Amino acid sequence: MMGKRDVQIYFRLNWRLLAMEGRVSSAVNTPANMPMTRRKSYGRSCVENPSLFWQTPGHFPALGHRIPSSRGAARSRNVLSKVDPEQVALLVKHEWKLAYVTPLYRFRHTQLKLYSKHLTAFIIAEKQQGVAIEVGVEAGFKVTISTILGMAESEDDAETIFIQIHSKPTFGAEALKLVWRGWLTCVNGDREYLRSLPPDFVSLPLFCSSGSESLTALVRSWFERTFDCNFGSLFLNSTTLNWLAALWTGCHPSSNIRFLKLTWTMPTQPSLDIMYTVNPQDAWELWNSIHTEDSADDRIHIDEVQQFMNGLETHLFRHFKIYLSAGTLMKVSTSLGSAHHEGKIKIGSSDYISTLLTLLTECALLRTPV
Amino acid sequence: MNEEARAILQRVLRRLPSRKTQSTLRAWGCLSAQQLEDLDYTQPKWLLLENLISKCEESRLHLKDVTKLDMVYHIENPNQGTWHAFKLTEAEDEALSVDFTQFKEMFVAHLEEVVQHVSIRIKKLEDGAVWIRIAWGDNFTKPNHLKPTYAVHYLQTPYVFILNLAAKHKPFVYQALVLSTRHVSINEAHLTGRSLTAMRDLLMKQYQQVFPNQERTLKERNAPPSHPNIDKEHAEFAERTHQMACEAFGDGTVPKLETAVYKLETRYRGSNNNTLSDRDELFRGVVRFSSPNLLESLRHCVSTGMAEGPVTPLLSSITQKGRNYFVIAEKVPGATSQTPAHKT
Repeated sequence: MMGKRDVQIYFRLNWRLLAMEGRVSSAVNTPANMPMTRRKSYGRSCVENPSLFWQTPGHFPALGHRIPSSRGAARSRNVLSKVDPEQVALLVKHEWKLAYVTPLYRFRHTQLKLYSKHLTAFIIAEKQQGVAIEVGVEAGFKVTISTILGMAESEDDAETIFIQIHSKPTFGAEALKLVWRGWLTCVNGDREYLRSLPPDFVSLPLFCSSGSESLTALVRSWFERTFDCNFGSLFLNSTTLNWLAALWTGCHPSSNIRFLKLTWTMPTQPSLDIMYTVNPQDAWELWNSIHTEDSADDRIHIDEVQQFMNGLETHLFRHFKIYLSAGTLMKVSTSLGSAHHEGKIKIGSSDYISTLLTLLTECALLRTPV
Repeated sequence: MNEEARAILQRVLRRLPSRKTQSTLRAWGCLSAQQLEDLDYTQPKWLLLENLISKCEESRLHLKDVTKLDMVYHIENPNQGTWHAFKLTEAEDEALSVDFTQFKEMFVAHLEEVVQHVSIRIKKLEDGAVWIRIAWGDNFTKPNHLKPTYAVHYLQTPYVFILNLAAKHKPFVYQALVLSTRHVSINEAHLTGRSLTAMRDLLMKQYQQVFPNQERTLKERNAPPSHPNIDKEHAEFAERTHQMACEAFGDGTVPKLETAVYKLETRYRGSNNNTLSDRDELFRGVVRFSSPNLLESLRHCVSTGMAEGPVTPLLSSITQKGRNYFVIAEKVPGATSQTPAHKT
């Protein structure tokens, strides 16, 4: 009897709770509270909120909302003491086309030799359109995949891998010709994000390639098939280019940047390019008047970067009366490197390579669909 | 036909598009109509070259004739390489009466007097342009016909356009030009570009110019289609900016300039909040505008409101002064500059 009563009470209470809740929620059903109510449904809708829940439970960092508003000033770091100079030389002076890559599934740095063989066979097979190919017989192309040890900055960064494709002449004993090169890297990647990856995934979010488009497409499709990942083009927005302009200018006292060159394209008919080359010393003095090195950890704030760029744009406006904001900042370059809106970079010197790659890794991670 | 003649022939032929080969060879006028008929212009160029060389040998043509072909090619394709404009100043009384024969004789005489080995060819075209081809040698070498200098001058005007002039030959050409045109001196006009015609049109104002008193005609011609929703005020504003743009950069088809360069040696005029404002030194930089058709781009930029009016003298100086290289200096006592300073 007691049991029965208990049940009854429980039932009643429960029912009343539900009724109350219904009343409450109907009373405050304003649009602002909508997401709150919605969270109660655990249905896995793919449409709303490309959900963080079903990849890793709980605390998956939403990278899209964490664009840093300040970062450390560019510091010259002797990369050459950590990384083989010959390998660093491979990265400098070429123009690289950028792309982002989603984490690689079951990628092992210990298997690079095997991957080289497979990629070689894949490229030859694709080039020959369907004719069967024996793995290990390297006719026409030779792929070498290697690690560039020491590029990683934090312990969570995976080591950079470098891919070279040589073409072999069909006849004669001519030397191999390097026809394509590319690398995947991660420098100072977001720690929280990297740690939240399931154990079988390796994140090397930044892909740089130099060589024919068709070979790039083949390498990409091999990676996509083998490691269940995805590539996408990486554009550099004006905020990124502004950051680079300020970071590089800040390097001038320790490493002569020789010039600061900014290029805008105006949407006129026909289109108008405006290239502003600033004297490096004057650019630095402007930067120095805006950015004060007060604290021990030299942080640069986005406001300072904006102020610097606004200063340069206003200076130009006062002369030519052209609203640069109507156009697009397309390119920033100094002797330390150059970066183009369409996702192309050049590394001019190895000195500040990690600053550049940290920024680009961040851009790549932001573009990576979560 | 020596090696040099072959090399020139080969180079001209290589640069010529196949469909233009026959007309250029005809304009050259050194081969007979029958010989031109016999050549097969659809052949690969190396084969055509061999046949052409044998025709030339048939007609006993020499290096001199082949250099004529090189000149014909340059006259027909004046957009190869970078031309520099020069301006003759302080004309003497006789300057207006110099005719072509006189100019030709004097130019050749003055140049041959100072340079021992030089080969000069001068031709006057129907539009009045005098084309001069100079192949340079020195005391010990024969003239190098593979690196000739070209100069184009319009008699009775102060303008000369020069292509491929080495610094060491500059004084010789300057002197010969000044003496044979009866002027006192010659200066760089700070105008460079790939298009010879555009530079000529800009300097000689051979394009549709718009003057402030022309307002009415322009308004009538470019009247926007009437639409009830177009606010009157807005339409007037749009007209005003368009008028302003045309006054500065010309109307209709404008000379096809590609670049304009400004060397800025002015004080920093950036944001107001005391950054660098107390600085006495100059904020140095170079601004380069480039476009497939610069004047058209700038006109569009101003008329669509991407630039604030009125048009700054810096930009309108391109047409007003016929220049595309400027040094903009601050009016600082003691500071020297080759050009009048602009106040911005």
